[in-house]
Amino acid sequence: MELSRRHFIEAGLGAGMVGTLGACAMNTRGADGVAGASGQPAWHLGYQNAPANGFEPEAMKLVFGKPPADLSGSLYRNGPAQFQYGDQYASHWFDGDGLIHRIAIEDGQAVHKARFVETRKRREEQTAGAFLAPGFGTLGDESYYVESSDDVNAANTSVMVVDGELLALWEAGSAFAMDADSLETKGPKVWRDDLKAMPFLAHPKVEPDGRVWNLAVGGSRVGIYRIGKSGGLEDFGMVDIGRAAYIHDWTMSERHLIILVQPWINENLRPPVVAGFEWQPQHGLQMLIVDKDDFTNQRWAQAPARAFFHTGSAWEENDGTIKFDVVLYKEPVLGVGGGAAEIRGDWTAADAGVDGVLTQVIIPPSGDARLIETGIIGEFPQVDARYRGKQRQLTALVSGTSPNRPGATGLSTQNWMTGESRQFEFGADRMVEEFLFVPKAGGSSDKDSWLIGPVLNLKAGVTEICVFDAGNVSDGPVCIWQADYSWPLGFHGTWA
Amino acid sequence: MTRTSSLIALIAASFVAAPLASAADLTVSVEGIADATGSIMLGLFDEATYNGDGSIDGATLVVEGTSVIATFEGLEPGEYAVRLYHDVNADGEMNTNPFGMPTEPYAFSNDARGRFGPAKWEAAKFVVEADGTAHTITMN
Repeated sequence: MELSRRHFIEAGLGAGMVGTLGACAMNTRGADGVAGASGQPAWHLGYQNAPANGFEPEAMKLVFGKPPADLSGSLYRNGPAQFQYGDQYASHWFDGDGLIHRIAIEDGQAVHKARFVETRKRREEQTAGAFLAPGFGTLGDESYYVESSDDVNAANTSVMVVDGELLALWEAGSAFAMDADSLETKGPKVWRDDLKAMPFLAHPKVEPDGRVWNLAVGGSRVGIYRIGKSGGLEDFGMVDIGRAAYIHDWTMSERHLIILVQPWINENLRPPVVAGFEWQPQHGLQMLIVDKDDFTNQRWAQAPARAFFHTGSAWEENDGTIKFDVVLYKEPVLGVGGGAAEIRGDWTAADAGVDGVLTQVIIPPSGDARLIETGIIGEFPQVDARYRGKQRQLTALVSGTSPNRPGATGLSTQNWMTGESRQFEFGADRMVEEFLFVPKAGGSSDKDSWLIGPVLNLKAGVTEICVFDAGNVSDGPVCIWQADYSWPLGFHGTWA
Repeated sequence: MTRTSSLIALIAASFVAAPLASAADLTVSVEGIADATGSIMLGLFDEATYNGDGSIDGATLVVEGTSVIATFEGLEPGEYAVRLYHDVNADGEMNTNPFGMPTEPYAFSNDARGRFGPAKWEAAKFVVEADGTAHTITMN
C-alpha cells in the first residue's frame, strides 16, 4: 500500500512528534525562512563555516528517548565546511573543504568531534585567508598551480573505512587516508604506483563479505577498482562508456557493475566544471552492465532521459532481470543556481529545480529498461550493507521539501516487497541529512536495523543525531542526542 | 660541443676542461631528488622549441644521491628553459596513470608550476649569460 506524503505529514503532526521535538528545543531562532539576528535566514546555519580547527571531542546530550543498547560504533560523515573567507564566499557548495565528523556511540553516550581534511587546497587557502583553487563551481586564482587532480581535491564528499583505515572521499581525485581515531590526515591514498592521483568516486560499493568496488571517472573512460577486504587492490581495469557523462554514483548487483550514463555531458572538464555541462536528452539514460569477473563482458540497457546523483542498490532475479533503485530527475538540478545561492543565504524556491523521485529501474534480460516511480520525493537513498547486491526489502532516504528553504524535511522508507512507504516529517524547522542503516543485534532482515543520521534543528540552532527503527520510521525517533552547537550540513557518511 | 655528466664526472672534468672563450656555459643542478634510483631525463629548450616536440639539447643523468648536475657548453647567450622528469623505474618513459597524469616526479626551470598543463614559457624561462650561468631546480 502506498500512502501519500501528505498523509504522513498529517500523521506525524497528529502523533504529536513534531510538537514533542519542538518542546525540547530552545527557541532562539526564527521560524523556517525567517531572517534571524544575523540577517541571514535560519536555514543558512547549515552553510556557515566550521571552526578552522574543527570540533574537539564533546559529549552530546540525550534529549529524547532511550538509546538502543545494541547501538555501538561510529558514524563518520563528510561534508563541505568552509564557505567564506572574510567577505569572499565560495563559488559553489561542492567546493568547500571537507570536514570529517566522528560521532562515537557507546553505552548510550554520543561524542562528536571533527577535523578538516588537510589537503593542499585547504592548507594554502587557510594560509592566504582566501579561496584560490579551481573546482566544480569555482574558476580559481591564476596563481594557484594545478599539476594533478589532487591539487584541487576538496576531499569533501564521503568517507569509507577499509580494514580499519578511514578514507575521506571526493570524486575527481584520490581518496585521502585519515587516522580513524584522531581524524588526522595522512595523505592521498595510492592503491598502486601506476594509479597515483587516479580519481576514486565518493560512492564505493562494499559487498557483504567486505570486498570493495569503485570507479574512476575521466570523461568517457572509466576505471574499475576491485579492492580486497584487507584494503589491497586486487584488480583494476578500464571500460569505455562512450560519452563524458557526469557520474557521481553507480550501482552493483552480486554479479554485475551497472554504470548509469546520464545524458548530462561535459566534454570540457575545465573549471568551473559546472559551466561545461550540456543536457542531451536525445541519448536517454543508458546503463552499461559489466560482468564483475570479466570487464570485457558488457551489455547496454536503455531508459528514458533522466538525471541522477544517487542510487540505492541493485539485485538480480533468477531470469537475469536486474532491479535497482535510484533518485531520478526529469532534468539536471545543477548549473542553474543550486549550490551557489545557498551559501550566500539568498536561496529561493526557483533554485530548487525539479524534484528527485525515488524510482525502481527494471532491466529485463533483453530490451529496454522500465522506470517505476514510487512518488517519494527525496535524496540520499541508503540500504542495509548486509544486503548490498542482494534482494532486500528497504530503501531509506531523506524526503520532503520546503518552499522556503533548501534541504529535506523528513525521512522515508520504501519497502520493495510490499510496495509500502513510510515517512516521518520533522517539520519546517529541521533540515534532515542522510540516514544510514545499522544492523540490530540478531536481526534476520534489513527491517531489523536502526537508521542513524544528523538533523539540523533550526529553532535551537544546534545539530542533533537521531535514531529510528528502520521498520517503523513513521513512529518517529527512538532517541535524539543534541550537541551544544551546530555544524554545517554534510553529504555522506559510513558506520563503522 | 655539449656534454652531460653526473656530479662526480663534472668535478673531475672541471680540472681538465678549459672554458671556451666565446661560448656561454650552463650548469643545471637538480636537487631534492626523493629516490636514489633511475635517471633524471632533462631537456633544454629555447622559446621556439618549448611548446613543440623536440628540445635543443638534453641530458640523461644517473641518480645516485639526492642531486645531479648537467652542463651545456657553447650555448648562444639568451633565454632558455628546462623541463625534466625523474625516470624512477628506468624504463625510458615518463609514466602516467591511465588518465595521462604523470606518476613520476617532474619539474621545470625556475621551479615553475603548471596550471592544467606544463609550466608556461614565461614562467620557466631564464637567461644564460655570456660568461656562464648556473641554474638550480628543486624537485617537489
